[in-house]
Amino acid sequence: MKESPRKTTVSLEDLLRLKRAEQPPVEFWDQFEQGLRTKRLAAIVEPRPWWAPFIRSAARLSRYQLPVGATAVLAITFLTVREYRTADLIQVYEPAGIEATAPASMAAVAKGSVTAADAAGARSVASVPMVLAEMPVRPVLSAEPRSEQASRASAMVGSVSHLAPVPSELSMATYIAENLAKNKPELDRVLDRPVEPLSQVNMPGESRRSRLLEGTAWLASAGSASDSSLRTSEQATRHLNERRLTESDVISRLDVGGDHLGVKF
Amino acid sequence: MDAVKTFGKTLVASPERQVEADSDMDIVRRVQAGEVAAFDQLVVKYRGRVYSVVYNLTSNREDAADLTQDAFIKSFQSINRFQGQSSFFTWLYRIAVNSTLTHLRKNRLRTFFSFEKINEDDKVSAEVIAALTDDTGADRETFARELQEKLNEAMQKLSIPHRTVITLFEIDALSHQEIAEIMNCSVGTVRSRLHYAKQLLQAELQPYIRR
Repeated sequence: MKESPRKTTVSLEDLLRLKRAEQPPVEFWDQFEQGLRTKRLAAIVEPRPWWAPFIRSAARLSRYQLPVGATAVLAITFLTVREYRTADLIQVYEPAGIEATAPASMAAVAKGSVTAADAAGARSVASVPMVLAEMPVRPVLSAEPRSEQASRASAMVGSVSHLAPVPSELSMATYIAENLAKNKPELDRVLDRPVEPLSQVNMPGESRRSRLLEGTAWLASAGSASDSSLRTSEQATRHLNERRLTESDVISRLDVGGDHLGVKF
Repeated sequence: MDAVKTFGKTLVASPERQVEADSDMDIVRRVQAGEVAAFDQLVVKYRGRVYSVVYNLTSNREDAADLTQDAFIKSFQSINRFQGQSSFFTWLYRIAVNSTLTHLRKNRLRTFFSFEKINEDDKVSAEVIAALTDDTGADRETFARELQEKLNEAMQKLSIPHRTVITLFEIDALSHQEIAEIMNCSVGTVRSRLHYAKQLLQAELQPYIRR
């Protein structure tokens, strides 16, 4: 180290200035140049990957993060609200206990095919189970007159409506009546006989197990019966023995004779 | 476009830097026009400073050399996209610092130091070492080596952003504005990081500080 003027205080900045003095020797730069030239040539020769332009364009887009993000959020919100509204339209019905009226979408579908003549017959058909409301929607395209369909529906369902006749409801009633007639046996089976599904399931080893259990139960019952009878006979024997003992005691322990009296111990 | 260029120039700190930026821009335009050899002028001009930044961030001379070369290669490959919105030196620094930070994050668990020798002709370092060894009477060369190790250890204890800020400000003597531009953060963030980093270093290097 060279001699330098005396310095008494050393601050953090002075210490960090030492780091500036950490410099590579001159020959290091020759190697550096050589390495750099080789790398540059390799970079020129080496083909760029096919995704490089995409990365570049993505990097350019990253400048517009805020507007792009805001647009995306708005678009998603718009789509969600729109979907939600559509779903609402599909699910609109009157949740009055078990009874339900026709969904609005069904009404929209069948609207065109309803005439005023349908009103009288179908008026009475309004009370249907909620399950029916979820049936697939199809326009009614039957050759049969609508008044007949409606009267048949009223005959099958048999309940009287208090609701006002709306064309959509009328066509719905007709449709329900048709479907009810077609699927009545199946509906009866589903609605009238609710069966617990798990109770119908038989485990694989169930029959064998029950057979074994039957045998064990018989043995157990047999064993208990014999035990009880054994116990009863023992009690009886004991009881008899005691009686006999007392009786014999009376008879045999006391030996009473004309000329003598003997007592046996 | 002119407005953008003007705005880019306002970010350059001093008049010297302004002149430097203008001359760099001329060279860049030549490279962009197809005069590839002109790029070597930029390499020669900035290699020492870029290497110094990378070396002080990594404390490893081999890694520093590789990363400096990579920074120059990347800037050469992308020089056609350089539009002069900032000075070339800021742009090059940003490339170098970002490459180094990526390297440091990838090799967080691998810390291997290899130091450059302290330049004996440097006046300030000679003064500092003399002041520190006069009291103890220790051998200057041995003490300088020990101090260098302690300094690098203390630097490596800092987080990567704090180390970057202290390197660019204290060692490379960049302004707050330039550091903010390079690190893509606000000047306030740079100042707070600098303050915190200095506090930590002060605590670590307390035995070497003479008041």
